[in-house]
Amino acid sequence: MATMAPPRPDKEHLRGPNVATASNRLPGVKDYAQVDREILRTLQPTLVWFVLLGVSVLLVVLGGATWAYQIYEGTGVAGYRGPVFWGVYIITFVFWIGIGHAGTLISAILYLFRAGFRTTIYRVAEAMTVFAVMTAGIFPILHLGRPWKFFWLIPYPNWRLLWPNPKSPLEWDVFAILTYLTVSATFFYIGLIPDIAVLRDRETNPVRKRIFAALALGWRNSDTEWRHFTRAYLFLAAFATPLVLSVHSVVSFDFAMALTPGWHTTIFPPYFVAGAIFSGIGMVFTIVIPLRKFLKLQHYVTINDLDAAAKLCLFTSTVVGLAYLTEFYVAWLSGNKFEQEFFWNRVFGQWAWAAWIMLICNVVLPLSLWSQKMRRNTTWLFILSIFINIGMWFERFVIIVASLSHEFEPWKWSSYRPTWVDDAILIGSFGWFFMWFLLFMRQFPVIAISEVKEILQPRMRHPHDSSHDLDALTIDPTLTMGDD
Amino acid sequence: MQGVIGAFAELDSTVHAIEELRKQNFNDLSVFSPTPRHELEEVLAAKNSNVRRFALIGGLLGVSFGYWIPIWMSDYWPLVVGGKPIASWVPYTIIGFELMVLIGSLSTAFGMFALARLPRLTLTVGYDPRFSHGDFGIWVAAGPDRAPQAAELLRTHGALEVRNER
Repeated sequence: MATMAPPRPDKEHLRGPNVATASNRLPGVKDYAQVDREILRTLQPTLVWFVLLGVSVLLVVLGGATWAYQIYEGTGVAGYRGPVFWGVYIITFVFWIGIGHAGTLISAILYLFRAGFRTTIYRVAEAMTVFAVMTAGIFPILHLGRPWKFFWLIPYPNWRLLWPNPKSPLEWDVFAILTYLTVSATFFYIGLIPDIAVLRDRETNPVRKRIFAALALGWRNSDTEWRHFTRAYLFLAAFATPLVLSVHSVVSFDFAMALTPGWHTTIFPPYFVAGAIFSGIGMVFTIVIPLRKFLKLQHYVTINDLDAAAKLCLFTSTVVGLAYLTEFYVAWLSGNKFEQEFFWNRVFGQWAWAAWIMLICNVVLPLSLWSQKMRRNTTWLFILSIFINIGMWFERFVIIVASLSHEFEPWKWSSYRPTWVDDAILIGSFGWFFMWFLLFMRQFPVIAISEVKEILQPRMRHPHDSSHDLDALTIDPTLTMGDD
Repeated sequence: MQGVIGAFAELDSTVHAIEELRKQNFNDLSVFSPTPRHELEEVLAAKNSNVRRFALIGGLLGVSFGYWIPIWMSDYWPLVVGGKPIASWVPYTIIGFELMVLIGSLSTAFGMFALARLPRLTLTVGYDPRFSHGDFGIWVAAGPDRAPQAAELLRTHGALEVRNER
């Protein structure tokens, strides 16, 4: 006779580290006062912050000086060699636009889907979006021989009676990127207003108090304000959701509208959008994991939140992997020898090293996220995020350089090698991005105070009987904080 | 503007106080809370926000403008390609879509500011920094004749502090 398993202690099985769910519980956060105290504490500058800011500013100076040199000498000092006239600048432009996409996904799309795990990471992701688009926007201008003429791309009445061609994908980019920057910045600022009001009410320095008072626009947490705010936030999220899908689709049209082998394919828009979100989630991990550790915010950005974001990362990685395979399949199925030859050259020929960096970083390593243990290991998530950042930069390298260097006529086949100018400007762009992020994180809360308060139980004079309420179960906060 | 402001620590006390105030015919209320709460929204039974109208009108204006710009540009400087229309609506849908989102979003933000009366140069009478921190507040507009009744009602429902403001 089989022995029966001993009965489980009541509810004991629910107290362990639960798998990430749509609802968000913060057992380590007790009340509103704790939220204000702990999140506002993160605004104090530290030595590490000053050092990081100093390094970022130095990188910006390096990038800026290099750009000045390039303007003086001409774009020939970058690694452009015919026929490869799109190089590191366009690769990095697509890379940074992609980074921005996860921010809008987390702040807008997951808001519409009521995914609770976004609450504690969306502010970082949204800031990342704005700064990444600000960084990306510089690169097409860097790429121009006469960058001071960039405004010619914008249709405006002028004495030359000239207008840009609205059938050109490059013109669509102007509309898409400027819209994306404006809408993300608006969404970001509107979400910040209630938190700026908290800062205004707590600030003791009169100058900073005045600045916060001006930025809070006289917000006073009234029912009328909240009513219009929540509606406006919902509509902005609804506008931003299709926008995020459209922006990278438009970026992909820069390639897909050309006849170049490897570019002229209809899978580019979904392929680019998935890749953008994938790379953006990688950058979210790169920023959030050290941030929660050094600012001691593990009980806000819980391991469950990271677990859920890692699932999203895994999903987008599989979409990207499928897109890679589909490209090969379509090349084989097409019977087009240029296309077949190109893809063979990409993976087993001239650009094999870059293609394999891309495949290993973007498809093979993220497979580890099928394991819950790995999804909840913050050290691994951080290391993986670095690989994803590298892999996604190389994805754009493979798409752009491999195609341009290996078009139809063999006599035109060539190679490409970035120069120190490309490298310095690429590094400078990271300095520019992190400089803005570091400045932001010391002036404004990196976790949305009012949204965290929204998911906490408010004080009640007569608390309802919660003995049957799953959310009310006492969960050991340390179980949700992860291993770091 | 005269009235009484009461600060509450608990959400349920605030809700009960609002219910009672409305029963006593105090209808000019403003409620302050550190975060939006559906309990407060329900008890106040406020109408839907009109921000949606701004979103709709902005979006429609944006999409119209977004189609009009490239169509006008194509017509102004025609690029004649055999068998192709001068103005092709399919690629212009991209510009139409982007401007729908751009102008729709900006109009939504403008609508929120206009309806919530933002920006305001001074915080209104009765506002207390504790309302952005953790407490709830009820402002009752009442003349000198009814103010004591409102104040008493707020105290009965557990207000931490009640002040007459003008």
